Amino acid sequence: MATLNVEILSPEAALWTGTASALMARSSEGNFTVLPEHTATVGDVVSSVVRVQTDEGEIAFAVHSGFFQVGKGLEPDTTLATVLASVAERTTEIDVARAQAAKDAAESRLAAATKGEDEELLAYAALERAELRLSAAAK
Amino acid sequence: MAGGQERVLRRRIRSVQSTRKITKAMELIAASQIPRSLARIIANRPYRLGMQRIVLDAALGDPAGAKKLLTLSEKIDTALVLVITGDRGLSGPYNNASLRAGERLVTKLKSEGTQVQLFCVGKKAAAFFRFRGLDVQESFAGFVDKPTYADAQEIARHLAGPFMSGEAQQVLLVSTRYLSAGSQAVRVEQLLPLVIPELPEPTEPEPLHGYTEFEPDVKKLLFFLMPRALESEIFSALLEGAASFHTSQQRAMAAATDNADELGQTLTRVMNRARQDSITTEIMEIVGGAEALRSGK
Repeated sequence: MATLNVEILSPEAALWTGTASALMARSSEGNFTVLPEHTATVGDVVSSVVRVQTDEGEIAFAVHSGFFQVGKGLEPDTTLATVLASVAERTTEIDVARAQAAKDAAESRLAAATKGEDEELLAYAALERAELRLSAAAK
Repeated sequence: MAGGQERVLRRRIRSVQSTRKITKAMELIAASQIPRSLARIIANRPYRLGMQRIVLDAALGDPAGAKKLLTLSEKIDTALVLVITGDRGLSGPYNNASLRAGERLVTKLKSEGTQVQLFCVGKKAAAFFRFRGLDVQESFAGFVDKPTYADAQEIARHLAGPFMSGEAQQVLLVSTRYLSAGSQAVRVEQLLPLVIPELPEPTEPEPLHGYTEFEPDVKKLLFFLMPRALESEIFSALLEGAASFHTSQQRAMAAATDNADELGQTLTRVMNRARQDSITTEIMEIVGGAEALRSGK
């Protein structure tokens, strides 16, 4: 039987690697699910919760934009799905208090920033990250 | 005067010994940082390789579009040069090697009629190039011992802007690569346009790779991918730079400690001889004096 190997990678560490039955994420074109024997695909991942279904249950990651690639694995009859995220974490490891504090800080930064400046974009990105963390942790 | 010489030597020995304490401490600190920085390189590797794979796939999916984005334009008016060094000295050849390579590169580019914009990472690079009277466009410092991905993103943002707008046609990186524990070497690499080793000729159809699907379509994807790939390459250069810095510092400080040991030993010998000399002279004087008194009776 074909197996699906999943890698969730961030620049600082490989967050999770293992065998899964399905990988669910959202690209800029919409939600998608990767099952074993999925065709070779390359795409982006927007800020969302990426879910990996394994035999032991579902593992969820808050991914703050990145890319994914699905292709043939090294071993025969395997499919390799790789998710690359510049920032990502497991939802169970999210520090809610810290995310809430970050959200408040980002909101005040956004209010203080002038329109069209880099600062506004950065503050907005920070706010988006904090909001994703909070919503991911709440589930 | 013999006693004076002994005092001077004693002072020098003390100074050598206190220097040795400092160099030994720095050696141990650097040595303790090496495994940590190596672990970070290893942890980064899957991500970096994954990113390279994705860029390759995307480039194969649209060879014609990729060629535009990924090949060097014929005429390079402006090149951005990013030089990575450390914040601190006392690290053997680490800083100087990349500074020299950076300077050579800048001179070469200028002699070819290319405008150069310098970007420096590490206090040493900024100080060096400012002292040489070169314009430093932007300098980043304070994180080179323990770079974070956010630092790489910040640097990438400054480099990608001029490249995307067409103001600069090439982005080059001068950094120290960590090849192994025994060897680190300065490399000049091209960051942008992205380098893909196996980029095929766009005229040749690649049947094996023709089945990859893209979401969103490949042109958009390549456009999004480029800054992320740049960040990834810069981050890995920062990590390898940090590891090379610690390794180089550890080796330099170990050598300095050995030198201090040797110097201390030599000085101690010289001092002992001086002390012996002065004692001998003193005895001779006493004996001589006593002789004189006795014969004078």
